[in-house]
Amino acid sequence: MDPAVTAPRVAIAASGAVNALGLGLERLEQAVRANATGLRDCPRLSGKGYQSTVGGFVPDEVWRQLRERDPAHGDAPAFLLADAALREALLGLQSSGSEAAPGFPGAPTGSCERSHLDATPASRRGLVLSTTKAEITALERAFHQQPCSVTAQRHLFPALLAADLAAAHNLAGPVHCVSLACISGLLAIQQGALLIQEDKADLVFVVGVDLLSDFVLSGFTTLKSLEPGGCHPFDVDRKGLSLGEGAGAVALVRRETLASPALVVKGWGSSNDANHLTGPSRDGSGLALAMNRALQKAGITPDAVDFVHTHGTGTPYNDAMEGMALRLVFDARVPPFCSSKGLFGHTLGAAGLLETLVCLAAARQQMLPGTPGLRTPDPSVPDSLLQTPRRAESLRHMLKLNAGFGGTNAALVLEWEGA
Amino acid sequence: MNHLTVLAASFLDADGYGSDRTGRRPWPAPVAEALQRGELEALRWSTLFSSETSRFGRMDFLSRLGLMAVELLDARFEAMEPAQRDAVGVCVETRSGCTVTDRRFLQMPLASTFAYTLPSTVVGEICIRHRFRGPVMCLLPVPGQDGSLETALGWLNRGEAGACVCVACDLLEKKIAASLLLSDDVPPGGWQGCAVLIGRRTEASHDHLWRLDSLPRLARSLCALGPAIPSIDQIGTPGEGTRPTRGPIYGGVGRVPSPGGG
Amino acid sequence: MQLLTDELKNKIIKALNLEAVTPADIKDDEPLFGAGLGLDSLDALDLVSMLERDYGILIQDMEVARQAFASYRSLEEFVQRHRQ
Repeated sequence: MDPAVTAPRVAIAASGAVNALGLGLERLEQAVRANATGLRDCPRLSGKGYQSTVGGFVPDEVWRQLRERDPAHGDAPAFLLADAALREALLGLQSSGSEAAPGFPGAPTGSCERSHLDATPASRRGLVLSTTKAEITALERAFHQQPCSVTAQRHLFPALLAADLAAAHNLAGPVHCVSLACISGLLAIQQGALLIQEDKADLVFVVGVDLLSDFVLSGFTTLKSLEPGGCHPFDVDRKGLSLGEGAGAVALVRRETLASPALVVKGWGSSNDANHLTGPSRDGSGLALAMNRALQKAGITPDAVDFVHTHGTGTPYNDAMEGMALRLVFDARVPPFCSSKGLFGHTLGAAGLLETLVCLAAARQQMLPGTPGLRTPDPSVPDSLLQTPRRAESLRHMLKLNAGFGGTNAALVLEWEGA
Repeated sequence: MNHLTVLAASFLDADGYGSDRTGRRPWPAPVAEALQRGELEALRWSTLFSSETSRFGRMDFLSRLGLMAVELLDARFEAMEPAQRDAVGVCVETRSGCTVTDRRFLQMPLASTFAYTLPSTVVGEICIRHRFRGPVMCLLPVPGQDGSLETALGWLNRGEAGACVCVACDLLEKKIAASLLLSDDVPPGGWQGCAVLIGRRTEASHDHLWRLDSLPRLARSLCALGPAIPSIDQIGTPGEGTRPTRGPIYGGVGRVPSPGGG
Repeated sequence: MQLLTDELKNKIIKALNLEAVTPADIKDDEPLFGAGLGLDSLDALDLVSMLERDYGILIQDMEVARQAFASYRSLEEFVQRHRQ
């Protein structure tokens, strides 16, 4: 018998988020409903020659709150963000009746009949971390001969950040660290689901984190790919992307252990364009390949997809390529699709997680999200592009996409099993 | 079901290079001296290969190591049909990541340097050169945890890939090596590129079985044994069952696929 | 002008790490990008950085760069016109 047929289904039991919109999933959901933007200018960065100082910055108030709660990690911002998202997810798993600390979020995203934490020994709890640059500020500080704690220096190495996060929360099962450009988050969710399906863990936290560091601002400035005033995904006048920072976390369990409703991780796929590193001739076929693999793994046809959450960075190039990929897979019937890069920016290693949480918010509210930042839709992309949020007739199967530097692509099929 | 077949293996580090077919070889004298001094610029594509490659000169050292390790497999990928290439997965693991390249970027911010300030750009370089379009993964292995071999095993067991190229590349700065690796895992000179080509188990291919616990160690063992691999005792019993089960991976050494067959 | 030609061709080779390319290989009227020398968009960005560093020429708009880099000849003329 094909092992894939008997593999247990995996679903999201709880989640957590911190980004430009603030701390907690609730703020994310509010912003999705309101089609708001969390992008803002950061005056502190002007005069450094960056192509843009507009981005999805975690608010100062949130940093203050996180540092107050955990002074031992005061100069280790990547840990603070990842830990914040992870803590919210942990709280969400506890049996009903427990309260989050004042000012801190924590609510289950599906109803739990029993506490997954109580029921799962530490050795069966795992962690998969997704990040592109981890605590890159440690390298910046070393370069500028500024003080830096040993902890922050350790976290320059993503595997050690992962190990420390796991140790801090007694996750004594498998610990993995995925770092594959902007598709890291979706690959990490895939990795987490596999750990459950292969019976290596019963509860897996998948956390994605990245900082909006001077390093990446400088880097994307050399690529001239930032839009100075903030990104406009799929817009006819789009010129570039906006960076963002934050962390997203999901707690994965076997679906059967959750009472309805639940968001099931139903299928996944990845690919490489195998064309060119900076790929000017990307025709969408690589991303289409990843999408078709995900659909095949999920056992559904393109017709069954109700909504696509794109990568949609707002660069002239990426959005055109995604439009082509959508047509390759869906032909004339491209489902409604949106981008959330205008909501909290391009959060790199956190993108796959935070954007999956946008899908979760959409499913729970049976609402199709809009595309913050979009003004005039590019006529050459499919016209099912969602500009503003609207009620969904039936939001069941969703496809989440990300594409990364080096020609990498990933797709995730999510299924909402509602009440 | 916990079987896979290692079709080819390769490595390169400060002490030498090789493949399962050639065995271990020393570097040519002038290159060897430069490498012992830590001058990786002395390692050119033409040091090892007469073929062309696109823009090797602008790649960072981490990517060069990974790309060269795959080339050393000498697996005649160009003889594969496009459909076969579409099914080759690429999984890279790197303990060091790209901090050396990160530092270079801080010193001189250039677009071409920034492109390599990701541990995974080497995945793109490998796929581009060999036109692989299968699944991809890049891991920073946590000490004591699963790595790329387990990823490859999963792809093959689930039919998500027909063959896998697993690559380990590292470029370590000595002072941080201790915190990332156990001391006997630090490669000579602090750098390495190792690769194995893995396929599904075939009947013809199992002369012997042994445990695969670390990609760099596996690659070097196979290369040290060279083409005349003696038989060794079978270790344990491969796991069976309709569900992939947890446990060590077993593999055997088979023939490198010949063009048009195998 | 020959002095600038030799200097500029060598700077291009050095800035782009073009192994096994000599100034003689850079033909004046062949394309630099796509065909000809076969440079790509990362190279264009690196050339922009080199022009800023070595000749004091600031290019904000890559469309300007695209036209200036059409061939070696157009690049040299661009440098002659704009160098600080």
